[in-house]
Amino acid sequence: MKRLALALGLPVVLFVVWFVASYGSESFYVPPLRRILGAFADTWTLERLRTDVLPSLGRLAVGYALAATLGIAVGVAIGAYPRLRAAAEPVLEFFRAIPPPVLVPVIMLFAGIGNGMKVIVIAVGCVWPVLLNTVEGIRAVDGVLSDTARAYGITGVARLRHLLLRGASPQIAAGLRQALSIAIILMVISEMFAASNGLGFAIVQFQRSFAIPEMWSGIILLGLLGFTLSMLFRFVERRALGWYNGLREAQRKGS
Amino acid sequence: MKWLGAAGLAGLVAVVEVIPRVGLVSADYLPPSSRIFAALGDEATDREFWQAVGGTLIGWAVGLVIAVVAGVVLGILIGAVPLLRAATASTVEFLRPIPSVALIPLAVLLFGTDLGSTLLLVVYASFWQVLIQVLYGVADVDPVADETARSFRFTATARIRYVLWPTALPYVFTGIRLAASVALVLAVTAELVIGSPGLGALIGVAQSSGAVPTMYALIVVTGLLGVAINLAARTVERRALAWHQSVRGEVPA
Amino acid sequence: MRRFFAGIVVAALVGAVAACGSSGDSGSDAGGGVDKVKVGVIPIVDVAPIYLGQQKGFFANRKIELTMESGQGGAAIVPGVISGQFQFGFSNITSLLIAQTKNVPIKVVANGVASTGKTGADFGGVAVGKDSPIKTAADLAGKKVAVNTLKNIGDTATRESVRKAGGDPNGINFVEMPFANMPAALASKQVDAVFVVEPALSAVTSAGGRVAAWCYVDTAPDLTVAAYFASTKLIADDPDLVKRFTEAINESLAYADAHPDEVRAVLGSYTKIDPKIRESLTLPKWPAEINRSSVETLAKLGAQDGIFTGTPDLGKLLP
Repeated sequence: MKRLALALGLPVVLFVVWFVASYGSESFYVPPLRRILGAFADTWTLERLRTDVLPSLGRLAVGYALAATLGIAVGVAIGAYPRLRAAAEPVLEFFRAIPPPVLVPVIMLFAGIGNGMKVIVIAVGCVWPVLLNTVEGIRAVDGVLSDTARAYGITGVARLRHLLLRGASPQIAAGLRQALSIAIILMVISEMFAASNGLGFAIVQFQRSFAIPEMWSGIILLGLLGFTLSMLFRFVERRALGWYNGLREAQRKGS
Repeated sequence: MKWLGAAGLAGLVAVVEVIPRVGLVSADYLPPSSRIFAALGDEATDREFWQAVGGTLIGWAVGLVIAVVAGVVLGILIGAVPLLRAATASTVEFLRPIPSVALIPLAVLLFGTDLGSTLLLVVYASFWQVLIQVLYGVADVDPVADETARSFRFTATARIRYVLWPTALPYVFTGIRLAASVALVLAVTAELVIGSPGLGALIGVAQSSGAVPTMYALIVVTGLLGVAINLAARTVERRALAWHQSVRGEVPA
Repeated sequence: MRRFFAGIVVAALVGAVAACGSSGDSGSDAGGGVDKVKVGVIPIVDVAPIYLGQQKGFFANRKIELTMESGQGGAAIVPGVISGQFQFGFSNITSLLIAQTKNVPIKVVANGVASTGKTGADFGGVAVGKDSPIKTAADLAGKKVAVNTLKNIGDTATRESVRKAGGDPNGINFVEMPFANMPAALASKQVDAVFVVEPALSAVTSAGGRVAAWCYVDTAPDLTVAAYFASTKLIADDPDLVKRFTEAINESLAYADAHPDEVRAVLGSYTKIDPKIRESLTLPKWPAEINRSSVETLAKLGAQDGIFTGTPDLGKLLP
């Protein structure tokens, strides 16, 4: 009960403040919250959720999975071999600094204008936190642990699985978490070019056609989506990193 | 090992030179490196170009500082007090995924096409990067060290300085490094989409004018800025974290 | 460590000072003195007259100190005008019509740019690739056409071209992408046709493409394509400024229309269009009068195509 109250407490307070503060708003671009809520109910029908939100989620899922796989695979390689890291880092930093809206036209050249392009934009944009954090995690594996493993003859795949990945997993999890929020942003950006459906597409079209309450309702939906995905992620993370959390908990409570 | 990095970049330049010449992509849409560098040379003599670089860097720096200070302060506060953490968790999770680009009308309403609108987007996006990392860092504090400090009657401030801060510091630096690159990306994006002064605005003009080599030259400048920022961040990190495992492990014993 | 933080603080201070310096005052100061005016424009060929007029002093003569703020599109310009960040803005007619149906508090003050009205020599049209099977506008039915903004003047005009040529406009698949990406998309056959304006039009034709439909000409004779607008609040608060601005714009439009060479020269000052293309591209027309009947046609077509619900009130929108 207490947990529920804590989780809902602040959001409810902020919501009420927003509602009251904007009640009589005359501003065109910041309409009263009650208008936005009304638009929310009218716009996001089950039909629309199916035609716009579902495709967006699908592309998001594929792009994110691609980024996660690539990021961890390349990250492990780079983290484990200092020479490779030294060679690759400037190139990676170079691409990572290029803003996605600028990169999209270039990606369009090679990937066309369909779903593939959007998935690639999402993947290319959100692979960086995963990659970076994996590299950091691998580098930070406890030296003593690493030497002990070598002394016991644990090499190859077993070393990768039990030492490197396990040891780096808290950092990798942090990276995956950030990649998720970046992926959602890119989902919106990728739908600004050559798109015909999608949540981001709908929001941008509302903005263009001056349907402002609908635009805000779309943004709220985006926030809800991000929140839900984040909760999902947290749930999975707690399961997968149970050993780490348990270790910390035990250290906290015991000793 | 420094030259390895340069070798990697040289390889990229070579690939971009070859692809349009071989005909994989038309040279009109992806000019070879030589033409891009020629356009870059032209830009470098243009005063407007340097003003734009300055504009982008100012937006980046100011936004980053605001985001880092706010992120570290709030992160430590929220992370160290479990009640605050529980109360704000859902709000943070809700606000975080809202793309900065969705804030563009609000930014223009408040600041027009000036530096302010760039800052709004930059701070909003970078703040979360720092905050999340600091939260992770505070959560990673070694409980034994914390308890020891408590039993030695360290005050809260002393505990933050001697126990919390060193544990959180690597995370803080990762957060700063990530925030630095996000800040650059958002600064250029804001300039591109809104038109506030900076590299992004120049890229937009080049794009709508059909000046393709110039556009790529400006993109290269953006990328190089990112590389420079990363190098600076890593150097600072190495100095400040010389005692930490990940850095120690790489220095020959 | 301490030095690092000191450096950051110094940088922040420098940045803050620079930021304060750069954000000038955006209002106009009342009566007597010179009015500082900010205009939100997109750095394209269409707005050459206002740059030329500024150069020639048409605005300074009327005690207007003009600053052009480049936005990247209506999404940035309209909120700026409404909030008072800009005094005036530039936008295409269909966007203004849509805004009117949603009761956005803006009103047109002067003409912006118009089609040349000549088939074969206009500044915008629907182009196809070199060996495209599309020969006339009617062939566009059922094809994939790229436009820069969906539910706007590009697709409205294209549909009207197809309709007039006897084809079915309803099956066209419109795809949105910036003008700059259209030549590449056309060349790699990702789309069948592109709605383009200068300078992208020259880029397409010089790569071997040709125009299949002169859609601006087909939509209405001497179509008014875009206009300068202001918020209704400014018009109510400072009608004298609006009047002077309108006079200056009209003078600039007339001058630009009569001196095409100077227009081509001024293009170099605010765009990066290649000098060769600058000389050869087709310039639009800049009449000082808004062609009211062409706006009515756009309104009718927009309602017909479902771009807006209800009909825009032209009495409220046009001067």
